[in-house]
Amino acid sequence: MIIWLCIILCGLFTFSMRFAPLSGLLPREMPDLWVRAMRFVPIAVLSAIITPAILIADGTMVPLTDNLRLPTAIAAALVAIWTRSVLLTLSFGMGCIWLFSWLAGG
Amino acid sequence: MANTARSEFFNGIRDELPLQIGIIPFGLVFGILGLEAGLSMWQTIFMSSILFGGASQIVFTQLVATGTPAPVLIGSVSTINLRHILYSVSVAPYIRDLPLAWRILLGYLLTDEAYAVSIRRFQTQPASEFMHYHLLGTGITLWVTWQASTIIGVLAGTSIPEGWQLGFAVPLTFLAIIAPNIKMRSEIGAALVASLTAILLYDLPWNLWLMIAALTGITTGVILSYYEEERAS
Repeated sequence: MIIWLCIILCGLFTFSMRFAPLSGLLPREMPDLWVRAMRFVPIAVLSAIITPAILIADGTMVPLTDNLRLPTAIAAALVAIWTRSVLLTLSFGMGCIWLFSWLAGG
Repeated sequence: MANTARSEFFNGIRDELPLQIGIIPFGLVFGILGLEAGLSMWQTIFMSSILFGGASQIVFTQLVATGTPAPVLIGSVSTINLRHILYSVSVAPYIRDLPLAWRILLGYLLTDEAYAVSIRRFQTQPASEFMHYHLLGTGITLWVTWQASTIIGVLAGTSIPEGWQLGFAVPLTFLAIIAPNIKMRSEIGAALVASLTAILLYDLPWNLWLMIAALTGITTGVILSYYEEERAS
C-alpha cells in the first residue's frame, strides 16, 4: 500500500513541476538571469547524472585502472561530437564496453 | 510551404526515433530493477506511466531496495525531477497560449529526451501555428517506447544476464545528447563543476548531490557567460 502511495505522490509532484510553468499562474516575462540559467540546465543536470554513473559503482569510486566505463565514455563522447548521432554513439559505446569486458575477463 | 499539424507531428516522431535505441535498454533495466527491488509487476509497470521519468524511477527502485522511509523516498525522487520545472519554463513561451487540456497533456509528456529534441526545433526553426504537435510527436514516441520496454523488462525479468551491462546505456544516451552541445568555455565549466560536485557530494543523504551539483553547474555557467560577453563586447 505504502509503495502505491509513494508512486502516486511522486507522480503528482513530478507532474506539478512539469505543468506549473505552463499553468499561466507564473509571471510571463522571466528575468534575464533566469533565462541565462536556462541555457545551462540540461548540461549541468545531465553531467551530474553521467559522471557518477561512470566513476561510481555500488557506492564507491571504481579504481581508475579497473574502470572500463571511463575510456569507453571518453571515446563515445568523441563519437557523439563527431557524428552528432545518438544511435551511433550508443552502438559504439555498448560495443566497446562488451569488447573491453570480454578482453578483461578472457 | 507552411508546416501542418501532421507534418509537425511526424517530424517530432522522426526526430525522436533515433533516441529510442537508448530508451529501450533503459526501460528494460528499470523493469528488471523494479522486480529485484521487491516491487510487484503492476507497481513497476504503472510507475512508468504515473511517474514517467526514467532516472527518477531507477532511483525509486534503488531506494525501495535499501528500505528508505517514504518521506525520504518521495523527497529524493522529487529532487531529481525538479529539473523539469526548468524544462517547462524553457518551452513555456512556445506553448503557453494553448488550451488547458493541451498544456496538461504536453506537461505530462515533458521528459528529458522529448524536451531536448523539441526545444531544438522551437529554437532553430521558424515558428508555426502547429509547432506544439512536434512536442506531442516526440512525447508520444517516448511514452510508447518507455511503456513497452518497461513491460518487456518486467516479463523478461532476471533472465537478461548482468554481463550485458544494459545500465550503461543510460549515461551513454545522456552523453550523446550533451557532448555535441558543450563548446563555449561557460558550457565546459558548467559540465565540469556539476560533474565534480556530484562525485564529491555523492554520499549526502536523500540523493541531494544531484540537485546541488546541478545548481552549482548552472551557477558556474551563468557566471562564466557574463565573462564571455564582456570579452566579446
